[in-house]
Amino acid sequence: MRHGILVCVLTLLPACGHRSPPSDSQAKAEAPALETATADRILQSVREPGATAVVVNVWATWCTPCRQEFPDLMQIRREYEPRGLRMVLVSADFPDQSEDARHFLAEQGVDFPTFLKTGKDMEFINQLDTRWSGALPATFVYDGRGALRSFREGRTTHAALESLVVAAMTPQ
Amino acid sequence: MRVSSLLASATLALTLTSAAMAADEAAPAGIAIGDEAPMATTKMKNVDGKQLSIADVKKAKGTLVVFSCNACPWAKAWETRIVALGNASTKRGIGVIVINSNDPTVNDQDGYDVMKERAKQRKMQFAYVVDATSDVARAFGATRTPEAYLFGADGKLVYHGTIDDNAHEPDKVEARYLQDAVDAVVAGKAVSTQETKALGCSIKFRAKS
Repeated sequence: MRHGILVCVLTLLPACGHRSPPSDSQAKAEAPALETATADRILQSVREPGATAVVVNVWATWCTPCRQEFPDLMQIRREYEPRGLRMVLVSADFPDQSEDARHFLAEQGVDFPTFLKTGKDMEFINQLDTRWSGALPATFVYDGRGALRSFREGRTTHAALESLVVAAMTPQ
Repeated sequence: MRVSSLLASATLALTLTSAAMAADEAAPAGIAIGDEAPMATTKMKNVDGKQLSIADVKKAKGTLVVFSCNACPWAKAWETRIVALGNASTKRGIGVIVINSNDPTVNDQDGYDVMKERAKQRKMQFAYVVDATSDVARAFGATRTPEAYLFGADGKLVYHGTIDDNAHEPDKVEARYLQDAVDAVVAGKAVSTQETKALGCSIKFRAKS
């Protein structure tokens, strides 16, 4: 019982204004689930009802531009989720790197389920967009009906992504 | 109220215009099947210190150009297969050159000294050169590592794409795209699968000179 109280107190401490960078064990403990997914599963997630726009971002832990753009993605999510934006993150890390991916996601404050790409690369790439060369990162913006409105290969920025999201939320 | 609405509309219109301009930023179109290698006479520093061009390594049956690097996990995953295929191809009448176009200031593991070590460790029997401006990769339209281009005896591109269909698990490879293309070129036959794709690290281009 005393152990239980101690755990509760320790768990609540960060919420009391004494925030410090999460340790490795904390970050892993809070890391979101990673569901393995083919392109079909990703597109299913895009078409689930309730969103006004959907951003799909394919990234990997070892990909420098992916890591660089990640804070911008998260900021866009925070700003536009209240307006119906859904963010679908897909890690392209190899399966034995999935813990690294979860750790990175936790560090970035991702507290929602995300995906780990599985299956053949070429099918995955072409199902998302035949114009995609396969280079990472890649970002796809869909409207609320699941229609692809824009595609960007390479690092994106807050301003560029915001304009694409606003456009996708605007009826054609 | 009306002024603010007008401003909001103008802002939205401007945003949408910007969006339209920014949308659909796919990689620039590169060379196509049937094209010759661009910048084929551009000299690049090889791991042995010599200056070599794509034309310099060309052999009677064709030329294999692979954009790769030291640091990318995909390049590492395929490295053993690339070296084995490269070494074998040079003995079958195909010239082989692996080109590192990455800016080493992004990742120092992509520097020249590491290239020399890798070439020695992996017993590469072909050129491994530095694209010091990244312009060769730009001219090809290469976007990622590794990315292979195979030219036939007449110098025309016959295959562009990935190594095989499974970077991570060599024992589960079902389609050996590049090996099959090399076999076809050596045999003087048409390549059946001419273009393939795989996920990979983006090339870390240097700023345009």
